[in-house]
Amino acid sequence: MAVLSLDGLSKRFGARLAVDAVSFDVEGREVFGLLGPNGSGKSTILRLVTGYLRPTAGRARVAGIDVVRDGFAARRCIGYVPESAPLYGHMRVAEFLAFMGRLRGLSGKGLARAVDAAVDRLALGPVRSVIIERLSHGYRQRVSLAQAVLHEPELLVLDEPSNGLDPRQIIELRGLLRQLAQNCAVLVTSHILSEIERTADRVAILLDGRLLTVEAIGRETAVVPPPSRLEALFLELTQAKAI
Amino acid sequence: MRVPTLAAKELSTLFTSPIAYAVIAVFMVLSGYTFTVTLIVSKQATLVHIFFQAAVQLILLVPLITMRQFAEERRSGTLELLLTAPLREIEIVVAKFIACMVVVGAMTSLTLIYALVLTVYGQPDWGPIYSGYLGLILFGAALIAIGLMISALTANQIVAAVVSLGLFGILWAIDTLASLLPHPFENWLLGLSLLAHFTPFAVGAMYLSDFGFFLTVVLLGLFLTVRALARS
Repeated sequence: MAVLSLDGLSKRFGARLAVDAVSFDVEGREVFGLLGPNGSGKSTILRLVTGYLRPTAGRARVAGIDVVRDGFAARRCIGYVPESAPLYGHMRVAEFLAFMGRLRGLSGKGLARAVDAAVDRLALGPVRSVIIERLSHGYRQRVSLAQAVLHEPELLVLDEPSNGLDPRQIIELRGLLRQLAQNCAVLVTSHILSEIERTADRVAILLDGRLLTVEAIGRETAVVPPPSRLEALFLELTQAKAI
Repeated sequence: MRVPTLAAKELSTLFTSPIAYAVIAVFMVLSGYTFTVTLIVSKQATLVHIFFQAAVQLILLVPLITMRQFAEERRSGTLELLLTAPLREIEIVVAKFIACMVVVGAMTSLTLIYALVLTVYGQPDWGPIYSGYLGLILFGAALIAIGLMISALTANQIVAAVVSLGLFGILWAIDTLASLLPHPFENWLLGLSLLAHFTPFAVGAMYLSDFGFFLTVVLLGLFLTVRALARS
């Protein structure tokens, strides 16, 4: 069964049809990329999937659960990183993760284990006790990813996760996405073709809210393509710089 | 468990910014000044003046507490985090209401020291003091519910504060406009007056209708806040 299934999903804002009868499925352990120019409806689709917006027509199901009819249960199955990776800046990293874990029903030792696991997975150990507003953009992105995977969701939804990252951070993000996809389905948007091509198993291309095509990238799932020559040079010269 | 978690987060947000401290400090300085002056001038063991002044101060200060509650979450994008987590809108609204009530409760309870002073140096009538504090809490709750609703409608804190302040001012003094209107419109407007419903509490006369008014405003305000957050 598909982890995410969109069936004729549409969203209208006044006179503008932002998403026009979009249908596709995302399987488990798959990185599925949504590609399209700005304003093509990528973020709106993610907001429909996560229940932030209600569709005008059609439906979305996560793990077989309709996101409108049983939004509460559907949201339990989703981890979401919005485009700007919003965080509570006054909290410390571990405090924020514990807060998000409690909101998702974790408590006691289970919560502590989940926070530790997310910190390890996203390599947040060095900044665990740091106040979030003092973190670099790369670390903030990692914290945002960590809160999304705390409860081991079946679907991870990422909106433009490489925005604002430097080349080193983007390269690390590629590996991270593949790693995360070992445990769940990943739906990721980008308007950078090369990034999606390197991380996704399949891509959907959108234009003006319409789905133009769904294409398989055509490579081994677990393989992250090596950095390009320029990327390798950049990595070598900037090795000392942490994320 | 989610409401206490959210309320604790809201409280930590309020008390990690200087706003809550500044609001409480200003409230205490002004009410302390009024208490001292009225006690010296009138030489009466009463807190009636304090209750009326505290109500006016709440009108001025509550917008500073409620303005950021949803407006800031909307502006910074964290509202999207909350609304895409397995939470119900009502839980988010109730948590913010509780956090704001804690601040207003702290402000009003600090004025209990004046009641203590009156007890030490005089023989105050405790009936009006009990009813006055109940009235202040209900009044503050109504202002918070309205302020939260306005905050949920905008992403700009200043707009939320200014609109809240304007609305509170109108609802406080609407009885002056009511006197210009013919019957029965006069009574309708009087029924909306915060001052008209607060005055009995402040002078020691509690009516179920006034209690019901504030309760209705609180419930309606929270309901409309939930509606303002509802996924569209």
